[in-house]
Amino acid sequence: MSQPVRAGRVGQVPALLGAAGLVAVAVALELAPRLGLVPAEFMPPTSTILAELARQLQRPEFWVALRDTLVTWGIGLGIAVAAGTVAGVVIGTVPGLRAATSSTIEFLRPIPSVALIPLAVLLYGARIQSTLMLVIYASFWQMLVQVLHGVVDVDPVARDTARSYRLGLFARIRYLVWPTALPYVVTGVRLAATVALILTITGELIIGTPGLGKEIAVASESNAVPPMYALVLVTGLLGVGANLAFRAAERRVLAWHPAIRVEAAAAL
Amino acid sequence: MRRQLAALLFAAALLTPAACGTTNQPSAPPPAGQPDKVNVGVIAILDVAPIYLGKQKGFFASRNIDLTLTTAQGGAVIVPGVQGGQFQFGFSNVISLLLAQSQNLPLKIVCNGNNSTGVDGQDFGSLMVKGDSPITSAKELEGKKVAINTLRNIAETVVRASVKKAGGDASKVQFVEMPFPNMAAALQSGQVDAAFPVEPFQTAIRDAGGKSIASSWVDAAPNLTVAAYFTSTQTMETRKDLVDRFTAAMKESLAYADSHPDEARQIITTYTQITAAQVAKLTLPKWPAEINRDSLQKLAELAMADGLLKAQPDLNALLPSA
Repeated sequence: MSQPVRAGRVGQVPALLGAAGLVAVAVALELAPRLGLVPAEFMPPTSTILAELARQLQRPEFWVALRDTLVTWGIGLGIAVAAGTVAGVVIGTVPGLRAATSSTIEFLRPIPSVALIPLAVLLYGARIQSTLMLVIYASFWQMLVQVLHGVVDVDPVARDTARSYRLGLFARIRYLVWPTALPYVVTGVRLAATVALILTITGELIIGTPGLGKEIAVASESNAVPPMYALVLVTGLLGVGANLAFRAAERRVLAWHPAIRVEAAAAL
Repeated sequence: MRRQLAALLFAAALLTPAACGTTNQPSAPPPAGQPDKVNVGVIAILDVAPIYLGKQKGFFASRNIDLTLTTAQGGAVIVPGVQGGQFQFGFSNVISLLLAQSQNLPLKIVCNGNNSTGVDGQDFGSLMVKGDSPITSAKELEGKKVAINTLRNIAETVVRASVKKAGGDASKVQFVEMPFPNMAAALQSGQVDAAFPVEPFQTAIRDAGGKSIASSWVDAAPNLTVAAYFTSTQTMETRKDLVDRFTAAMKESLAYADSHPDEARQIITTYTQITAAQVAKLTLPKWPAEINRDSLQKLAELAMADGLLKAQPDLNALLPSA
């Protein structure tokens, strides 16, 4: 019961089914406006969106925006992961600190990051820092909570053994806490990455810091409906890509972990 | 936790200045021989075509200004940006600036932004209803729902002016706040009875069969100055030479855009997602170099009558000395 949430088995049948589901959605979105179920000027058919996407890919502004989004996302996620991991390990290992901080954490964690937008704008204006503040705030808690769970998950026998061998603080963290917490850390990174992407696009869209979100807002303000959907599609693809990449990394980093080993054996 | 959070934000702030390359010192002159780096907060709409065109034509570079145009999501971001020093200049509608002035925000208009065409029935924004609506005049909007992009701002003031001009009671109109992109669908579905869109949405609604029933910019005041470029009083006082050069470049840009509408249309396709085919059909605003002071006086009176402004604004303090 202490296992972190893991990836399902990645076999060929589920992948095919997943692709079929995607195709079905695309076909439905193609037909709905063509059959007049939804007005085509507000919800263009899939083929129009894909053609527009091809046109967007030729605009240099698109690539600049994509880079800006990736940079904001990367910096925000990096800071949140580093800070969340360090804070989690410290709070989890120093006696008494967990009890002292838990109510504060439970108070701050549920504050929706977007509620901080007015504050961010006052502090940083339409600069990248505004969006970073939202990204870091939201993904930091994802990371911290996972690490905290991981740190307390240490096997009591292993902990007693470490104590019997009189391992120092550093050795305890390195050989006892870290291997136990690692699966949680990796899951935390994956969850934080998704949250960070959402907040990156939100910040760009609402505050207007540079990136794909801002391009979506500009397209919307230009009454350019197909480009807007094309850009939305790109943000979706980014999310899917990130999730796949982090799942792959998870399998590699945790290749030694029993959960992954069992999974690999079952997949063969 | 708070300290960790502060440290986090501090780390974020440390790591990122390279990515944005601006400082918080609006008044620092550049080293000798270097052009002034000027960042202007604008909105990606038709109205700011002159500054993009002026940059392309070198009107700013020739005055030793290295111009960066940053599009933002409106005055809520641009005004703090100008005050905080991210932007040296900003673009905003004049009611927002009058409101800011009445709240004693240290802002100063430096140059005209854009004006109504002054032609009834041919302006860049109008009060619209859907094609089969029985409403034919602004007077009939009493008790009806009218969509405007921001409540208690310029659109509300000018739509009220249209209702009053048509002989109606503006206080009986029910205003609904709605982003421009949503207005076409809201009109079609009957969610609102009328809307006040500006280009490109005015043309889009017209293409979908909608009708204009009043030119509210025109109804508010003749050749109304709708928006202006502004700076902080700090920049105004400490970098007077820069403000003068910016204003001169801006006036040249406005005059050029006003006399070269085809080039203005072309430049709009570069900073928005409006295509060349679409931009050809739009009604452009007018870009006079000088602020229409009388129209601002009229607008301020309208806003006072509506209760939007509590006190008579000090136009002399807000506007550049003539």
